[in-house]
Amino acid sequence: MHEISLVQGLFEQLKELAAANNATRIISVTMEIGPLCGVVVDSFQFGFDILSADDELVRGAKMIIQVPPVSYRCTNCSHVEITAGRKPDACPACGELLLIPDGGSDLLLRQVEME
Amino acid sequence: MCDTCGCPSPSDHSHDHDHSSGHSHSHSKTVDVHASLFAANDALARANREHFDEIGAVALNLISSPGSGKTTLLEHTIEALKGEINIGVIEGDIETERDAERIRAKGVPVIQLTTGGACHLDAAMTHKGFHRLQKEPGGEAIELLFIENVGNLVCPATFDLGEHERVVLVSVPEGPDKPAKYPKAFTSSHTFVITKTDLLPYFDFPVAEAMGDALQLNPKLRTMDLSSTTGNGMESWLNYLRELVKKMRAVKKA
Repeated sequence: MHEISLVQGLFEQLKELAAANNATRIISVTMEIGPLCGVVVDSFQFGFDILSADDELVRGAKMIIQVPPVSYRCTNCSHVEITAGRKPDACPACGELLLIPDGGSDLLLRQVEME
Repeated sequence: MCDTCGCPSPSDHSHDHDHSSGHSHSHSKTVDVHASLFAANDALARANREHFDEIGAVALNLISSPGSGKTTLLEHTIEALKGEINIGVIEGDIETERDAERIRAKGVPVIQLTTGGACHLDAAMTHKGFHRLQKEPGGEAIELLFIENVGNLVCPATFDLGEHERVVLVSVPEGPDKPAKYPKAFTSSHTFVITKTDLLPYFDFPVAEAMGDALQLNPKLRTMDLSSTTGNGMESWLNYLRELVKKMRAVKKA
């Protein structure tokens, strides 16, 4: 549910970017959603869809979502498993359960196309 | 600049250039941004933390499902630390002043934030709330600030409020699988407290297993289990708070 308030924050940034670039319409927005950032991609897309319908600047804009991979380092054998999918249950090399994640915890606005 | 042909932006399009490249020139432009959507909240959270440091207040963000016993734990904590540590409380709920009234009855400064529907507190609400709290009687001398977040194990985990420590609570009747189901609440917390342990005889809640699940997600997590009503396990919780305040007092003196 917090996805909606994050989309509202995104629209504030888009307004500022459009004003700074003398643009009146957003064509596409590229987001990077880390698998560990606590944001559900579908909910974020849903929030974007319903809020953009009511927003003159963003209406009709396309959202492109990139999901970056996360590196999980095994605390036992130091094997590094890299995946953009769900967290591995155990180290695929040695079976150790304690894996330390690195990356994937941010939600970034990467690129905006506007006119 | 236009990303298609490299011409200046439409606003600066008075120059004469050759469009022989033949592309349809819609004057759209693409801007690389790379800005975190958490940046605004995180910046405010840092400012909050600096302010708490400056005035020597330890701030704790309590997150849990609704009904895990956060407010009851605070009532008993306030009783136990009366005369020892100056406590202040920010209560977060969607509606009502009920939790604030319960805390006020214990004689410490408290304010209620009602989010009016939002499922979490953010750094801006915390900032405003703390300034209101400081104007309450006793609010100028707070050494230990509890921020009781909206009951929800999902969304609050994403928002830094400027706390020094985040405490996640799970009560025995909720069942032991919360760490596995709501990992972010546990990976982002410093301390995990199992509450209502007086109900253990009536529920299937393997304490060690739940703690093990949480530690697998976050090996640095401090764990404890307690019952606010019987007082079992309260001492380690109170000592944890005493230790945090002691450290803060030492820093403030130095």
